[in-house]
Amino acid sequence: MTSTGTSALTPAAPRRARRRVPWLVYLALLPLVAVLGVFAYYPAASGIWLSFQDGVPAIGMEFVGLDNYRTMLDDALFWRSFRNLGVIFLFGITVGWLLPMLSAELLISLRSARLQFLFRTLLIAPMAFPGVVLVLLWAAMYQPNDGLINRFLESVGLGALQQNWLGDPDLALLALLFIGFPFVAGLPFLVFLTALQNIPVEIFEACALDGCGRIRRLFRIDLPLMASQIKLLIFLTTIGVLQYGFAAYLTTGGGPNGATEVPVLRMLAEAFQGSEWGYAAALSTVLFILALALSVVIFRVRKEDPGVRPI
Amino acid sequence: MSVPSDALASGQGAAGAPAAGAVVSRSAPVHVTGRARGPGSGRAGRLSQLGIVVTLSVIAFVGLFPFLFMLVTSFKTNEQYFTSFWRPAWPPHLANYVDAFTQIAPYFVTTVVVAAGSIVGALALCTVAAFVMARYQFPGRRLLFGAIALLLMVPGIASLIPSFLLMQQLDLLNTRLVLMIPHVVGGAVLGTLLMKTFVEQLPQEFFDAALVDGASGTRMFGSIVLPLSLPVVGTIALVTVIGVWNDFFWPLLTVSQNELRTISVGLEFFNGQNGTNYGPLFAGYVLASLPLLLLFTFLSKHFLAGLSGGLTGSK
Repeated sequence: MTSTGTSALTPAAPRRARRRVPWLVYLALLPLVAVLGVFAYYPAASGIWLSFQDGVPAIGMEFVGLDNYRTMLDDALFWRSFRNLGVIFLFGITVGWLLPMLSAELLISLRSARLQFLFRTLLIAPMAFPGVVLVLLWAAMYQPNDGLINRFLESVGLGALQQNWLGDPDLALLALLFIGFPFVAGLPFLVFLTALQNIPVEIFEACALDGCGRIRRLFRIDLPLMASQIKLLIFLTTIGVLQYGFAAYLTTGGGPNGATEVPVLRMLAEAFQGSEWGYAAALSTVLFILALALSVVIFRVRKEDPGVRPI
Repeated sequence: MSVPSDALASGQGAAGAPAAGAVVSRSAPVHVTGRARGPGSGRAGRLSQLGIVVTLSVIAFVGLFPFLFMLVTSFKTNEQYFTSFWRPAWPPHLANYVDAFTQIAPYFVTTVVVAAGSIVGALALCTVAAFVMARYQFPGRRLLFGAIALLLMVPGIASLIPSFLLMQQLDLLNTRLVLMIPHVVGGAVLGTLLMKTFVEQLPQEFFDAALVDGASGTRMFGSIVLPLSLPVVGTIALVTVIGVWNDFFWPLLTVSQNELRTISVGLEFFNGQNGTNYGPLFAGYVLASLPLLLLFTFLSKHFLAGLSGGLTGSK
């Protein structure tokens, strides 16, 4: 998002050079550099250093080399938490994108501009609610005794389907992932919608002339033209999934029986309940490195085909 | 297919709006003449439009239903909640709101103070730095830019533990300042990048003219850059407000005094206090949602840019 703007303008910069010794420039930049150095770069670096140590920071730390990482590889819960992240990611980019995609397609097929505006607003309105409110509401809806979902099942005569949604190890992760259904109020929907709106009408016309149906148009035209946006979304989803933990903390706390365990919850539990700060730091370092590596991979792929952006 | 598509003529005027034209027939052979949009004309077209409206209504309803249920329930007493679960109950029990407000009012105060402080801090850092980086040439300029842009890719949660330890060492736990710092840093990083792009796009003539008039760098910053960059300032402010409002793990870990809790963490605590007392509980949720809803209503476009971390705004 920023790379195009900067590199394009650098050649023009030399003629703006005015000061021979730019001390004032450095002075003006000092506050930002100092703040970022102390509160962004230092913690990132000290986190990596901490991951090679053992003990409680306030009392005393001891260098243990790669011990924390070795413990991690033997930790079944660690592998479980990353397996869950895989499930969360796959769910996010399939089920999680299905209805946003459908809604975007339907929305641009509406002829009335007023109806388009109305539905767009209604569909994204849930975004305006705080995340905590959404999660707590769903938690209340999942309540086994007087929750909305079980009440509904009972009132339509499907009482046999009632479940302890968040308490059943087989269901908990799925129930957690369905929080926020139908997932339309989010960035994917907005990105799909913008992408579809940017496809020139002529392409749709030509497509209609050739007699291609709606489904075929989706696969032959809409999706290929959205390729670069989909890549961006995959990147954002990846980063988001690595940080997943907020909804799980509020609803299941990683339980039951590790069914909804994720690395972020592991990290917090190790640090704040187990006082295993070194091990927690190792977990966060792994998250950090994964995020960085995946960003690099995805941005590499993005750079290779800059031509696919529609218009 | 002989039915003339009169219905479409109305849409024809809006050729500039790309969305309005994205209509494609679902009926097989279509005669498209000239610029006419291949429409499912006549009854079939109207039927499919109706189908779209119905489908979208269902999706929108499902998405909004939890919030509607929250609103309706927030006016019920506990007894009404169990006797008329689905229907609104009469009379509305407004005492729930009084009850909830007395409990969550301190969280509002903290959240607003923290958001305001973070916005001021982030803007103070990023506006000056972005101006300098966009308009001055100096050794290390690219390196600095790269170092700032890199921070955008680092997931915040990854440095949660070391950041917490740093704050502990600095003896900043349980203060408002500790709640502001991550948002000042985040706002400054995003702000510098957005603002730098913006300042670079300002016409060089402004600065040349100012130079001729003998304006200093400070003067150019105060009289040209700041007044013109209000839209970017607005975006950063909105991103920060939404960020503070939704921030969860950081305030959860760094603050234990009740009145220092921000709204998200406060609401979780409030949730624990009220158990299954759904009336006041949901009234509290409604109250906590109102400020962001108001921003959404009046600043819809900027709000969306803010939600996506300035992503759509920067394109």
